[in-house]
Amino acid sequence: MTLPEHLFDYEAHLAACARGDRQALQRLYQQEGPRLYGVLLRLVREPAVAEDLLHDAFLRIWAGAGSFDAQRGSARGWIFSVTRHLALNDLRKRQRDAPQSVLLEEVGEGLEASLQSTRIYQCLEQLPSERRACILHAYVDGFSHAEIAAKLGAPLGTVKGWVKRSLVALRECLG
Amino acid sequence: MNDEHDGAQDELDTLAAEYVLGTLAAGPRTEVEQRLGHDAELRAAVDAWEQRLEPLGALAPAQAPSAGLWRRIERSLGQSTAPDSTSWWNRLALWRGLSAAGLAATLILGALLLIREVPVSTPSYLVVLVAPLDKSPGWVIQASDQQSIRLIPLGVVEVPQDKALQFWTKGKDWQAPVSLGLVKPGQTLQVPLDSLPPLESEQLFELTLEGPNGSATGKPTGPIQFIGRAVKVL
Repeated sequence: MTLPEHLFDYEAHLAACARGDRQALQRLYQQEGPRLYGVLLRLVREPAVAEDLLHDAFLRIWAGAGSFDAQRGSARGWIFSVTRHLALNDLRKRQRDAPQSVLLEEVGEGLEASLQSTRIYQCLEQLPSERRACILHAYVDGFSHAEIAAKLGAPLGTVKGWVKRSLVALRECLG
Repeated sequence: MNDEHDGAQDELDTLAAEYVLGTLAAGPRTEVEQRLGHDAELRAAVDAWEQRLEPLGALAPAQAPSAGLWRRIERSLGQSTAPDSTSWWNRLALWRGLSAAGLAATLILGALLLIREVPVSTPSYLVVLVAPLDKSPGWVIQASDQQSIRLIPLGVVEVPQDKALQFWTKGKDWQAPVSLGLVKPGQTLQVPLDSLPPLESEQLFELTLEGPNGSATGKPTGPIQFIGRAVKVL
């Protein structure tokens, strides 16, 4: 059902959604649903919540397709960001009680092979491991500063500083 | 001065980065999202960070959501059973194109007055139904009072043998469209509206292609052939 990314015209599908073509939305769902659901599940950890968010994300994609601006980034990236930020909003509002009750596998120290050719992988490799963990726990697991601090057993203020400095380092490295 | 400027730049970039990373608390997140609507600099910084960090999304393995989720999304978009039956009253893009129909209505009314022998009793509402794709006008609806309307063809349209044109309307605050019956191509149809609320501005009308006896569900399911909304004619 899922095509290789380069064979699927995300932008054309968004344009079709903006014209009211519901089949285009369905094809987008078939194409991106599993990836987005995986991202959501990783962030919120609860299948029912992840499905609610995926539902909301597709309504938002449908309603917002007309406002997608290719100048600002790729269509696939836009769909991803819309979805991810819905989950982040939800997480920050809910204040998860038990960040440690991890149902899924942790992001390991070694990054996945699929990332190895990317620039961000090389940049993350240059960070001290605890700072790399800050970035990954925040971006992939949706952890707040406090949750990262609890996870790494480091003081909150230290973690805040690590996150800030890691971001500066990443920007310099990534350009 | 320069340092100050750089400082402010850095602050904006850090804010954008932490927003994208996800570490901002609920309050600042909301503030950023509100600013994004009007703050181009912040928007550019956020866009850049989205692109920088997006490859990390691949670290979450893809998982299939439950089989019924698409149906749920579809239900939320509006009732729909057949795959090709996007609720026409939800098709925003279509309505954008139809603002031109207001002008067309005026022009066609003028044309009707001049060239057709339509009984003229100063209609108070007029609707031009246009083809959704090329916006070519196909029918005119004339309402001289609020209790009945006349659907007047501007030409003969072809309808496949096993299909029928069904006429629908939906007022602004109605839950769903109401059928006004089947229409024969090329024929004027008089429709009483006495069981419906009075005509109003912006009220939607359309003709869809349905089965020979009309839609089985009581809601439009087939493709839209012509569509338009009521404009008040003074």
